[in-house]
Amino acid sequence: MNAAFPAFRALCAALVLVVLGVAPALAHRLKVFATVEDGAVTGYAFFIGGGRPQGAQVIFRTPGGADLARTVTDAEGGFSFRPSVPQALEVVVNAGDGHVAEALLAADRFGPAEAAPASPAPAPDPASALAAAPAPSAPAAGLGAPAPPASAPTPSTACAPDTAVLAGLVDAAADRAVARQIRPLLEAYEAAEGRVRFNDVMGGIGMIVGLAGTALWVSARRRSGAGK
Amino acid sequence: MAHIPDGVLSLPVLAGGGGLAVAGLAVALRRLREEDIPKVALLSAAFFCVSLVAVPVGPSSVHLLLSGLMGLMIGWATLPAVVAGLALQAVLFGFGGLTTLGVNAVNIAGPGILFGLLLRPAVRRARPGLAGLVGGACAAAAVAGTAGLVALSLALSGSEFVPSARIILLTYVPLMLGEGAVTGFAVAFLKTVKPEVFLEQPLPVAEDRGAEAPSPVPSGSVLASRGDAP
Repeated sequence: MNAAFPAFRALCAALVLVVLGVAPALAHRLKVFATVEDGAVTGYAFFIGGGRPQGAQVIFRTPGGADLARTVTDAEGGFSFRPSVPQALEVVVNAGDGHVAEALLAADRFGPAEAAPASPAPAPDPASALAAAPAPSAPAAGLGAPAPPASAPTPSTACAPDTAVLAGLVDAAADRAVARQIRPLLEAYEAAEGRVRFNDVMGGIGMIVGLAGTALWVSARRRSGAGK
Repeated sequence: MAHIPDGVLSLPVLAGGGGLAVAGLAVALRRLREEDIPKVALLSAAFFCVSLVAVPVGPSSVHLLLSGLMGLMIGWATLPAVVAGLALQAVLFGFGGLTTLGVNAVNIAGPGILFGLLLRPAVRRARPGLAGLVGGACAAAAVAGTAGLVALSLALSGSEFVPSARIILLTYVPLMLGEGAVTGFAVAFLKTVKPEVFLEQPLPVAEDRGAEAPSPVPSGSVLASRGDAP
């Protein structure tokens, strides 16, 4: 009869340990962290409860829905993709068991880094030469607002190209530095966004208690109404 | 895995799940007795909280569902309990989604109700130890049923969403074991200290008998609503 008590106490202790052990990382939900570094999309998918999906399908597509590329996550849940044209991108990760998450990268996240190599000057640095290979001059001119006015008149003047190239280089270097610095911040934000808060849990429980109370009140009214 | 988010399932599946859930809710609320309401609310709150506690397993993480325990203790009322918990999780935490509420509720509560009603007579008769074993088996079967229904929902929405065997092995098998253990201990404990928890439902024996008889009527309406949906 009493044999169940120690077992139950042990179970309660185990449950409490489990709850305490995972307290900082509650909830179970797939999320995607994606950022732009040097014109390439890099990031990873992760479960808020812990763990990262391996071999999950990753789709890069325009917000309109046209697929640009597909890949799968590596052992760390990571992925990377270098779009040929700087444009707004949606990264969709599908773990295959009903867990799907997506992240949206606006076009201006790519803007200046890609606009610089679009200038017609012969690329003096390997970084911009690499990025210039697809030569997406037309879309870049439309997207990178500040840079094209500087690069458009470059062929005619003798001194301007240096300034334009220099500005491009500075822009790219600043972008890289900022991206490196804010990456941990963005990661922390993504992780914190899905975290369960104590207030919300208590609010949910209160809501359920309120629902039960309402149901009891309704049934009590009905019964007293029938009794009269 | 049981909380399918918005934008994954196709419209017919969403409508079918929603129809099933509404029909099931109608059945459950009609059968819900006033004195059972606090018990249902308590289990709903437990479901709401326990689904938020994720335990990392391998590359993924799992959480308990308690659907087997709910099925054994409150039978049909599992559905309203699960719907309330899921709706709050979707609104407060973005856990699952409001459009998938019906499908998720049916996927989680359906197997719990089925196995709970099937195995409740055995739990009622058995001594605490054996009742714990039966309860554990009930919970494990309910998790397996939920896994099957989730896979079915995904498969009906497009084959690319069918989970791989590896995912099932990695996430559902540990969950079945954990859920079975927790439910088994809980059932054994309740059976020891408060056996009437499992006896309460059949107290009006005629009504429990009646449960078998009217069930063709609601299941007929369920079929009708599913027929309308696609």
